[in-house]
Amino acid sequence: MWPLESQAHPLWLALYLLTLAIHVVLISYVAAGSAYALVQAIRKTDDPIAARVRDLLPFMLGLGITAGVAPLLFLQLLYQRRFYTANLIMGPRWGAVVPALVVGFYALYAAKATEVLRMRRLALAVGTLCFGFVAWSWTEIHLLMQTDSVWTQMYAAGERVFADAGVVVRLALWFGAMASAFAAVASWWASSDERRRLAVIGLGGRAFSVAAACALKAQGAAVAQTAHGWLYILAAALVVEAVGWAWQFRTGEERARTLVTGAGTAALLAGVVVREAPRLLLLEPPRPAAAEASGTWVFVAMVLVGVALIAWIVRTVRNAAPDPSH
Amino acid sequence: MSPLPSYPVNDFGPLMKGLVIGGVGILHVFLAQFAIGGGMLLYDFERRGQKGGEDYRTFVDGYFKVLVLISFVVGALTGVAMWFTTIQVGTRTIGVMLDEFHWLWATEWVWFSVEICAGYAFYRFGRRLDDKSRRRLLALYAFAAWMSLFWINGILAWQLTPGDWVKTHSMWAGFFNPSFWPSLFFRTAVATTLGSLAACIVINTMDLPRERKSVLIRRAARFAAPMALMPLLALWFLAVIPEDSRGWLLGGSMPMMMFVGVAAGASTLIGAYVIVGLLVKRLFINGATATLLLALAFGATAAGEFVREGARKPYTVRGVLYSTSLTPAEVAELRATGIANDTQWPLTDKARYVNAQLEHGAYVFRTLCDACHTMRGANAVMHLAHTWTLDQMRLNIAKLQRTKAFMPPFAGNERDVEALVQLIRWENAGNPAAWPVSDDATALAQVKAWLDEAGTAPGSTAEAIDPHGSRH
Repeated sequence: MWPLESQAHPLWLALYLLTLAIHVVLISYVAAGSAYALVQAIRKTDDPIAARVRDLLPFMLGLGITAGVAPLLFLQLLYQRRFYTANLIMGPRWGAVVPALVVGFYALYAAKATEVLRMRRLALAVGTLCFGFVAWSWTEIHLLMQTDSVWTQMYAAGERVFADAGVVVRLALWFGAMASAFAAVASWWASSDERRRLAVIGLGGRAFSVAAACALKAQGAAVAQTAHGWLYILAAALVVEAVGWAWQFRTGEERARTLVTGAGTAALLAGVVVREAPRLLLLEPPRPAAAEASGTWVFVAMVLVGVALIAWIVRTVRNAAPDPSH
Repeated sequence: MSPLPSYPVNDFGPLMKGLVIGGVGILHVFLAQFAIGGGMLLYDFERRGQKGGEDYRTFVDGYFKVLVLISFVVGALTGVAMWFTTIQVGTRTIGVMLDEFHWLWATEWVWFSVEICAGYAFYRFGRRLDDKSRRRLLALYAFAAWMSLFWINGILAWQLTPGDWVKTHSMWAGFFNPSFWPSLFFRTAVATTLGSLAACIVINTMDLPRERKSVLIRRAARFAAPMALMPLLALWFLAVIPEDSRGWLLGGSMPMMMFVGVAAGASTLIGAYVIVGLLVKRLFINGATATLLLALAFGATAAGEFVREGARKPYTVRGVLYSTSLTPAEVAELRATGIANDTQWPLTDKARYVNAQLEHGAYVFRTLCDACHTMRGANAVMHLAHTWTLDQMRLNIAKLQRTKAFMPPFAGNERDVEALVQLIRWENAGNPAAWPVSDDATALAQVKAWLDEAGTAPGSTAEAIDPHGSRH
């Protein structure tokens, strides 16, 4: 099945795409959730969704960063030369994503802990800015690693910022998609009324990202013919998701939430494949040492053990006594 | 030609690249080991708490907050920072390590994920769980954290002692390399000690009478007891590392020997205080003293990591990549062909060089020196060579691996040596606006003769002594 059939090492690619999708869900919750909680703090609204989001944000960021390590690893296997080169060209500017994440992380803890509204606003603003910076940096490096033509000139000039027109539009696409993913995840802890409000964010975010995708196409972005099957799946999933959001907006029903989640998951998986399609054309043959490295079965066995242990953790916490503060 | 690609090179100003990666690495190692030892200690305290020791349970919930706020945030993110920093300062090295061990690295990630999930689950739901679930969750957290160490330890130890991997290229031979077990046990002992010292600080913040704090402190101090094994583990480590590396640590390199002394001295002081003071004499330790000991432990960790990194010289992966990120085969090839001015990654300060030879010297410096030296900052080449005469500089650079055996062989020809020599002299002369090109055929012939005498083998293997008593 494309894109796996054409690759020299399909397992790397499959794991990259799968772990990236998991990472995207978690960081979407963090980035869009911080912005949502900030807006509600500025509006001084006593909003249960925002309170829940503030409570969950540090936890979600911790999981998001952990989940992000795996795609980072497989990315280095698939596109080692390009990824390392783009890293080096951006240099310390790229490295700034780590301090930004540290600051953002502590800002989320501060926003969760403080009862002072002004402090909460400040903490959420800092967090939102930090995560926005990280999203911008990732978008930049994603494009830079594919644009060989500017490497030498950027390096020679000592430029650390890849000021490509595509960066802003792609970032807009991501922000819209993040808002939609956030709304879908947040719906699982929401009441019926809250789900109706979240549907507005979900549908609005998706409309924004589709508009950004159209702008990208107008800029000349294209999806390879081979990826068209995934593009159709993506389009179909988006239509079903939109129907789900509309249903959730009208009724706030739990079944609508399930539909949105299912369609959103399909859209996410198809979306990461479509996003990858142009870069797959630049894929280089795997290095012999990497292609021949053993240990696959150890990894597979440990994944099974790890999944079983995490499932046990989830089951354990589901049996926890009710929270007396709720 | 080597299949390894060339990469752009970044200049960190007066900061030596080793300082950049060292700073991030030491912080990460310290926090990661604290998380492992802290997890083990928490499990023990939870068990005692469930047997009726209420203070133990109060401690567990308080200590875990510290663990999460420090280790889960800065600890986890410095791990990501390690990737990015290593890409910046040792691009080819991290590429080789990843190619060889990616499945084990991914396995380490699986255990890290379990550790984080178990940790957050306990942090968020711990107070609402039954005793058995609390105990199991903490046990899982501690085990997963240690498993993370288990996997990453093999990959890091392989850099210094690849063992039979060099001949067989068997991943398991590389993973279970000669320094795997001593490193693993040593790091485990460090981890429990860090967990213990951090616990002593947290206990002092608890609102308890001194007698009740003392009980907790004595229990926590037991986790520092493995320090008693550290001298034996250190000797075991020294016994299995390559002879030349052992030589640097035991006197061959003054800075490295000093760092061995700092690590050993600080560890001895901590061990003596904990074992004699806390465990044998049952003394009380206040928060200030515990903080001081933890700071001392940070110093010992920093010195220990410096020693571990330094012992690998002149390699980053022994026998595979030199500290210049060049393979032995590439060194031999560049000796024949010379270093070309890199048109893909041109010098960013090209305009400051007043002739073509100096510009070429800057390329040579960037290719061969920049990984460990700066021109005028930390470990500066112009300072190291400041007092050398012209011929001495030519000789020392041409026979680099003989000048200092922890230096790699010079990977260039006589024109590259001369360009680098002239660059260093020009820098030391204060960058005059005019500088003559040195093209003396006799001098170049002499440099070539020295290069030929030195060969391209590492200094540690070039030990042949001729009948007249001089080394070739």
